[in-house]
Amino acid sequence: MSEPKKNTKMTVFKTDRHEDMAAMFFVGLVVASILIYMAFIIPNVTIKAPAAGKVVAVAVEPGAEVKKGDFLYSLELKGKPEPKKYKAVTNGKILSVSAKPEDKVKKGKTDILVLEHQKGTLP
Amino acid sequence: MEEKHGIAKVMAIIPGLAFMIATLYVLRTYVEPWMAEAVVMGQKGWLVKVLSLNYILLAILTGMLYRNVLWAGKIPDWAAEGFRTTRLFIKSGVMMLGSLYTIQGLFKVGGIAITLIFSFVFGTILFVIWYGGRQKMDRSLIGVMAASCGVCGVSAAVATTPAVRAKPADVALAIATILGFGIVTMFISPAIGHMLNLTDYQFGAWVGTGILNSGQVLATCLAYNPDIAPGTAVAYGEIWNVVRVISIPFVVFAITMWYWRSEAQAEHVSLLSIIKDKFPIFIFGFFGMTALSSLGMLGAEGSETIHLMRTVMSWIFGLGLVGQGAYIDIRELRAAGGAPLKVGLAAGAFKYVLALVVVLLFVAKEANF
Repeated sequence: MSEPKKNTKMTVFKTDRHEDMAAMFFVGLVVASILIYMAFIIPNVTIKAPAAGKVVAVAVEPGAEVKKGDFLYSLELKGKPEPKKYKAVTNGKILSVSAKPEDKVKKGKTDILVLEHQKGTLP
Repeated sequence: MEEKHGIAKVMAIIPGLAFMIATLYVLRTYVEPWMAEAVVMGQKGWLVKVLSLNYILLAILTGMLYRNVLWAGKIPDWAAEGFRTTRLFIKSGVMMLGSLYTIQGLFKVGGIAITLIFSFVFGTILFVIWYGGRQKMDRSLIGVMAASCGVCGVSAAVATTPAVRAKPADVALAIATILGFGIVTMFISPAIGHMLNLTDYQFGAWVGTGILNSGQVLATCLAYNPDIAPGTAVAYGEIWNVVRVISIPFVVFAITMWYWRSEAQAEHVSLLSIIKDKFPIFIFGFFGMTALSSLGMLGAEGSETIHLMRTVMSWIFGLGLVGQGAYIDIRELRAAGGAPLKVGLAAGAFKYVLALVVVLLFVAKEANF
């Protein structure tokens, strides 16, 4: 079965198959760049509020060493009866803590803490 | 326009691509935040809350405005090559969405998705063959309409064309009809979803089954809930979309068999050769991302790494959707008419409404995902 002749091409590539392969290469490049950047290039990350709500507790202090799975802070979320606990996703050291109990936080906008993560891990 | 190669081709892509990036930047940085604060009809954020106007729909609308108003119906030569990267970005975004799932999760929801999609795809094809026959449409046109209404407006219509010996005009007509229908559903579905209080799971299942074009499914789900995360409308809608895209070679084969069964000059076409030629291999990228996510190689859920990946993903989608808007030519849509329009609209509306009824009756509010 031959390819239909394209008189109004919707792609910069020779065929759809080439476009699919280019998309796979592009995604590979993007994902690899993100992983390398996060694991090896940036020394620390600012953890922002993952949801809008109120800070219930902050379990860490500046200078504290944390391990993956350690409890960091909890938030009271709208419509949820129990506060949600957030844990460390990687090993590292707490550089600073901005949030304190009773603070209202906005999703993706309010800083909670700054973590220096162990090189080679994904914070 | 003269075909360019190598560095000249890359250079030709830059102006249009830069224009798409600049458009998206302005929409996300200035227009969307302004709309969230703007008071319209006495309500703050009315444009966002009631019209579901977020950067996704704005990207499509702006693309449409460029094409149909600013450029009077034709993407200018200086931007044309850049805008032809549209599908590359949509396919890349779809692949990256694979990172929202785990293999176990896909198996859980995938069963329902496969049942719904295959029933609706082949049900719609049978409907178009029956109704198109009653409308005395040409068999080639019925074949292309069945493919475009059944599985995916553009890809399936183009893939079926050589097999049913359709004329370019037939393909244009089928695509115009089904894309026109899709544009309307893209804008009304979020409002219907909110009115019926559908959960993200139900909305994703409905839209993934009832809307016929990958870009439109994505745009509609993101208009309903702009979050890109597991358990959101786009995460569910995309499973349905991927199953639908996978069914393309099977649909092409079934329609080819139907077409040639009644033709004197039988042609031997094997399912294997259709799969070899037409299978959209970018789907492997989607499953590759799911495999990486299942192995925990993309970072933990809730991590800053995942957050950055989803931000990049949303920009990739946004770029694709500015381009998608610019490929909507209102004058081309006016080409749709007569029996194909009747059949296309009947099949589209039948599928869209029936999918909603099935979702409301049989699909649980929340998925165990």
